[in-house]
Amino acid sequence: MMDTRNTTDRDPLFDALRAEVGRLDPPPGVEQALLQAFAQRHPAKRRRARWARWYDAVTPRGWTLAGMTGAAGGVLALALAFALQAPDPDHGTRTLAALDDDNPFIALDSAERIAAEPAPRMVAADVPRTTLAALGVPLTPENAGDSVRAEMLVGADGQPLAVRLSTLQ
Amino acid sequence: MTTAIDTDTATDIDLLRRMRTGAVDAFAALYRRHQGPLYRFALLRCGSADTAADIVQETFMGLLTERFRFDPLRGQLQHFLFGVARNLVLKSEAAHGRHVVLAGPDDDDGPGANLADDTACPLARLLDNEAAEGVRRALALLAPHYRDAVILYELHDMSYADIADICQVDIGTVRSRLSRGRAALAKRLAGWRDTVRAA
Repeated sequence: MMDTRNTTDRDPLFDALRAEVGRLDPPPGVEQALLQAFAQRHPAKRRRARWARWYDAVTPRGWTLAGMTGAAGGVLALALAFALQAPDPDHGTRTLAALDDDNPFIALDSAERIAAEPAPRMVAADVPRTTLAALGVPLTPENAGDSVRAEMLVGADGQPLAVRLSTLQ
Repeated sequence: MTTAIDTDTATDIDLLRRMRTGAVDAFAALYRRHQGPLYRFALLRCGSADTAADIVQETFMGLLTERFRFDPLRGQLQHFLFGVARNLVLKSEAAHGRHVVLAGPDDDDGPGANLADDTACPLARLLDNEAAEGVRRALALLAPHYRDAVILYELHDMSYADIADICQVDIGTVRSRLSRGRAALAKRLAGWRDTVRAA
């Protein structure tokens, strides 16, 4: 919409009225009444103005940083909580797992003799590697002096029935 | 984000947004920015200082309470405030039984039909300056829709488009009302000047 106003065509007839009226303003009571009405309408805002001062001063970048820090802290707290509360999958089973290694037992006696044994027991012992060479354990000059952790099935008379090498390296 | 803005240079929209969040300084800045022109418009329009003050107060109270809801997409706040004030003046005149002439579609009112009630308060003396008071009285005798156009154009330096926005009419109607209002005013002031000279 084109503005057809030409500021030079103001009628000089109104000059005196413009000058006279231009000095007039509403009485101060109007502003006071309005400010009172405003205060009544926004009492909560006035009470929290002190709180809102720092709150309003935070920039959007600051809010983003605070959000990321908070999220990272939350993740860390959750991880810590799980670490403290979740049961250790190895707790109490580590020894058993070592004993229940997948390595097979090597029979040192006949199957009938082993099956007939009334009270076999398991004994763990460190066996010199050289004594196991007959069972096929690798033996080199470097490891000849080592021991191998072995679990032995022993009969009631102390006779070894079977052996399993649990830490063969 | 920061809300600490300079209320002298902030736009009306910024001030209004802050006002709605409870910033009293924004509301005070809006009031101080617009109260003078609104009051002078209402004063010349209705001819009563008390009524003009009431109209200014009611206009801003409506803005505060959102009884009069301003939509920034539909124009300037200043035009909106003038429009509200004008409607309040019309309402006040209707309540006081003034003779209010509404604009017809052809806007072709005869001189007699355009006159406001001569016995109403607009003719009470308001200004000390005699020339100014003479023009004001002649203005007060114009039909309301002519008075709107003349006051806004001659005393508030508004464009035809501004006046059309405030009065919710098209620009052609504004031009027509202004022309007829000026002619009627010149005729009345010619008579008044003759009277002054004769005295």
